[in-house]
Amino acid sequence: MKYIPILAIFASAFLTGCNKSQKSGQLSIAVIPKGTTHIYWKSVEAGAKKAAAELGVNLTFIGPPREDDRSQQIDLVTNQALQNDAIVLAPLDAVALRDSVKGVTDKGKPVVIIDSSLADSAGFIASYVATDNREGGRIAARHLSEILAGKGKIAVLRYMQGSASTEQREEGFLEEIKKSPGIEVVSSEQFAGATASQAQDVATNLLTRLASGDGLSIDGLFCSNQTSTYGMLQALRGKNLAGTTKFIGFDCDATFIDALKKGEMHGSILQDPVNMGYLGVKTAVAKLKGEKVEAVIDTGATLITPDNLNEPKVADLIKSQLP
Amino acid sequence: MPPIPPRLVMRGIRKTFGSTIALGRVDLEVLPGEVHALVGENGAGKSTLMKILSGAHLPDGGEMEVDGKPYRPHNPLDARAAGVGMIYQELSIAPHLTVEENIVLGMEPMKGLFVDRKAMRARTLEALAHFDHPDIRPETLAGNLSVSALQLVEIGRSLAMGCKLLVFDEPTSSLAQKDIERLFTLIDRLKAQGISIIYISHFLEEVKRLASRLTVLRDGSVIGTRDVSTVTPEEVVALMVGRDVKDLYPRTAHQPGEKLLEIRSLSGRKKPTEVNLDLHRGEVVGIAGLVGSGRTEFLRALFGLDPMSGGEALVRGKNGAANPRMRWQEGLGFLSENRKEEGLALNLSIADNITLTCLERFGKAGTLSPRKQNAATAVWIERLGIKCQDPSQSVGALSGGNQQKTAFARLLEHDVDVLLLDEPTRGIDIAAKARIYEAINEVVTDSIRPRAVIIISSYLPELFGVCDRIAVMSQGKLTRAVPVEKLTPHDVMLVATGKAADLP
Amino acid sequence: MTALRLKSALTLLGPFIALLVVYGIFGMMNSKMFTEDVMLNILTQTVIVGTAAIGMTLIIIAGGIDLSVGSIIALCGVVAATLVTWHLSAPVIFIATIAFGALCGLINGGLTVGLRLLPFIITLGTMQVFRGAGKVATNGSPVNLPFDVTAYKPWMGGAGIPLGVWLMIILVVLFGLLLRYTRFGRHIFAVGSNENTATLCGVNVGKVKLLVYTISGALAGLAGIMIMSKSSQGDPTTAMGMELDIIAAVVIGGASLSGGEGTVLGAVIGALLMTTIRTGCVLNGIPTPWTEVISGAIIVIAVIIDRLRHRKA
Repeated sequence: MKYIPILAIFASAFLTGCNKSQKSGQLSIAVIPKGTTHIYWKSVEAGAKKAAAELGVNLTFIGPPREDDRSQQIDLVTNQALQNDAIVLAPLDAVALRDSVKGVTDKGKPVVIIDSSLADSAGFIASYVATDNREGGRIAARHLSEILAGKGKIAVLRYMQGSASTEQREEGFLEEIKKSPGIEVVSSEQFAGATASQAQDVATNLLTRLASGDGLSIDGLFCSNQTSTYGMLQALRGKNLAGTTKFIGFDCDATFIDALKKGEMHGSILQDPVNMGYLGVKTAVAKLKGEKVEAVIDTGATLITPDNLNEPKVADLIKSQLP
Repeated sequence: MPPIPPRLVMRGIRKTFGSTIALGRVDLEVLPGEVHALVGENGAGKSTLMKILSGAHLPDGGEMEVDGKPYRPHNPLDARAAGVGMIYQELSIAPHLTVEENIVLGMEPMKGLFVDRKAMRARTLEALAHFDHPDIRPETLAGNLSVSALQLVEIGRSLAMGCKLLVFDEPTSSLAQKDIERLFTLIDRLKAQGISIIYISHFLEEVKRLASRLTVLRDGSVIGTRDVSTVTPEEVVALMVGRDVKDLYPRTAHQPGEKLLEIRSLSGRKKPTEVNLDLHRGEVVGIAGLVGSGRTEFLRALFGLDPMSGGEALVRGKNGAANPRMRWQEGLGFLSENRKEEGLALNLSIADNITLTCLERFGKAGTLSPRKQNAATAVWIERLGIKCQDPSQSVGALSGGNQQKTAFARLLEHDVDVLLLDEPTRGIDIAAKARIYEAINEVVTDSIRPRAVIIISSYLPELFGVCDRIAVMSQGKLTRAVPVEKLTPHDVMLVATGKAADLP
Repeated sequence: MTALRLKSALTLLGPFIALLVVYGIFGMMNSKMFTEDVMLNILTQTVIVGTAAIGMTLIIIAGGIDLSVGSIIALCGVVAATLVTWHLSAPVIFIATIAFGALCGLINGGLTVGLRLLPFIITLGTMQVFRGAGKVATNGSPVNLPFDVTAYKPWMGGAGIPLGVWLMIILVVLFGLLLRYTRFGRHIFAVGSNENTATLCGVNVGKVKLLVYTISGALAGLAGIMIMSKSSQGDPTTAMGMELDIIAAVVIGGASLSGGEGTVLGAVIGALLMTTIRTGCVLNGIPTPWTEVISGAIIVIAVIIDRLRHRKA
């Protein structure tokens, strides 16, 4: 039943085709996220829609059904390029998507990359609109080092191989944490996998390995995206270890806010997906209109902690990312 | 003039595999120009003996001579060089080579570095002269030939090597009737040329047709050698199974009783078109006819395996639904002609296969007691002589004859009143056949509850031996069933082939 | 004779020995493998695949296959989580979710039997349908349990042996007995071994298949409740690709994909084997990609052993 998505593409191609003929002259932009299920991508969609409405362009928001299916995303890029004027893409893989994106830009259609970078792409993409992921990782590392008072053992649970944004967060984190000589990273070789359930299994096993007596032999933990943070939190709760170690996550979820309030988490790095979607579409349209656009646009990373949850700016950011 | 030495002598051949004695002590003598048959049940040691003869196995003891010279082959090429060729059931023909390339395969005549094509052609034509078959020409690709033609190529290969002793291992098992006849003619001709033949077969009638002497193997030992012209089938069976068999087709006197089955104008989807038949307790009715005449379709429609398109089948006067579940409940049982595809679930145990139709008898409320299943099965293993380890062994591991006994035992265990048997003895050894004939005789002559049997067979002597009445199916129409005393095989053949409209 | 007996014993013992060997190797590398904690982890993490594998064993013995089981698990997880947010009582949620899973299975079975199509094709389709249905129903995002709901924690966690583990053990015993000691169990084997023979012997082949798919669906529903209990949410994207883990577990456990062979105990041991590999790799700091290589190799070895066993038979 590989054909169902393809049929869907044909159907949408047909429909958008109709749209175009009705409102000729109107620009069409396709936004292709990594997945469609995370609340994160829904925020991106909200921002994109906002920009589309402001600028009066047609918007197609369509993503691959699962977050690790690179080939489906490649097909999506190729197909959407046929019926849109520009593509806004969050690439699932820094390398795998490169050729198809290049193919699109070679035909003169601009591509704006959002969220995760595309390898060696500065020459042909219109712009890279994203959280400075490396900086996000650094912020997390600085905060963890601070609450650990610069010494202790920590572990990092990575997300998935080939995902550039999370790899950059992990690298940024590890770089920055080295600046605290008192902190030792005891594990950073495990990957959580695509779903929260897989992440929970890996996290449980990791915690078992790091157990010491009734508690943990580590003082701090870092996870680099929403599913791995969720899985780790569930694993900590399952082993009744939540709160015994300083835990910094990434992204936003109602559960995380609850955990922050209960002292089970000590921080999370929030991106601004609404802004990312908004700026992504806006940049694409600007490029189409021949305006000059920045090569890299940072959408910002914000640390939330139990202490700053109620600050209006943080509260607004959280609100934009919860259902 | 010194006496001509025998073509082959085997003396005291022994072979063991681990602790299993495959051959105890085998003595065999084959004369020049003799067709010598080798018979025995599966596992009697025939194939081990042949493997020793062809050099695939080395014997642990004993000696062999070919034409008076010591013979001790280490591989099949040795054997062929000494003049012993094997024609196996599974043919060893390379389909992508031509007939002539196949015939000289492994012994190609060479001219320097190259194959001498002229010599190859000459040798091939010489070999092919033995059987003038229109399809087999030297340059034909072997893959384009039929199975029977391939067999001839295989024989030709041995002849081209100058073999004086050919071993045929059940050569007719994959041949059509027409090709079997052609093969027999060829064997006769080879015999006349002084070539000796060892002929392994389950089929006594083939042995009678071809061989002058037969040797019976049982449990790895030669039990005896007999002249084919004087030996009776009963004696052969007795030698094979090791107990007295008075009559291959035992017939205890019996009287037909109440009417069990009344079939009126039954027709199936395509065939049969018209079947009328009554069946009484204590009666065996045979259905003769050519393959494809609608015999099998008749039983399948009756049993509900294929749809019935017209007519009715009354069981004890009642017209029930025609589906297998209902039929078993009514006391009908069907033995499929197709043992492997339909008759048996090969990777299930003997016990499961025998009791599958009546599992409810082996436990209350949907439960099941494997112990009881096994106990019931053990009875049939004993009574039908099914050779196996225990009731929980999987059926697939048994030989053909024992598989057929298992399929037959299902009807006996269910204790049906009407046994519908489609080719019950096809492709099984004569000893297993004898068991099945005995069992049929037992159920129809049961003193308390004689059963009734409908049996389909392509082998007329079997029908004439087993049945009380015979009907013939021809192009979908079944004749009335006539008592066997009033019939000759000739009458039956005339109707079956459409040369006569009805039995006399 | 003894060789044959040994062989049938090996069929049962093979996966078990493999499990002990793999466990032992990881244990030698890290003695933590032998702690109660780790053993409990392995058992708990096997519950979801193990429970579903019991149902899959029945289907595979009957000669079928169900590729949609991962999707059914995710969908049932969503259903269960949604029902929790409606504040229904636990027994009602269990019954309703299991019934929902059974309905999914019934659809698979009904299409397979009714249309006489290959289950591979049918369930390849329903795999997408069920997956999509879950996403449609939730708009793609996970349904979180209310934070104050703790009633489901003991099923997949908490102190001592989680209830889910007990449940899996009970199901193994129950379905092991069902296959060996009931008429229905033998009918499943007969249908898978040779459908024609089963028909000839009066077995209602269609009913057997329908029941088998329905039971498997119900067990997948149960697995869905377990995945909901485990992660405190019903995630429509979870258990993606889990059907392959489940089928692999059944095959490692000695089942034949051509039907007529298999045991539920073997399947659960197969599932345990895979969890053990994953856990052992994490405990020993073996990088994740290697875990996949090792798990895959074990599956291939299991299939090779299966082939060798059949060749000898």
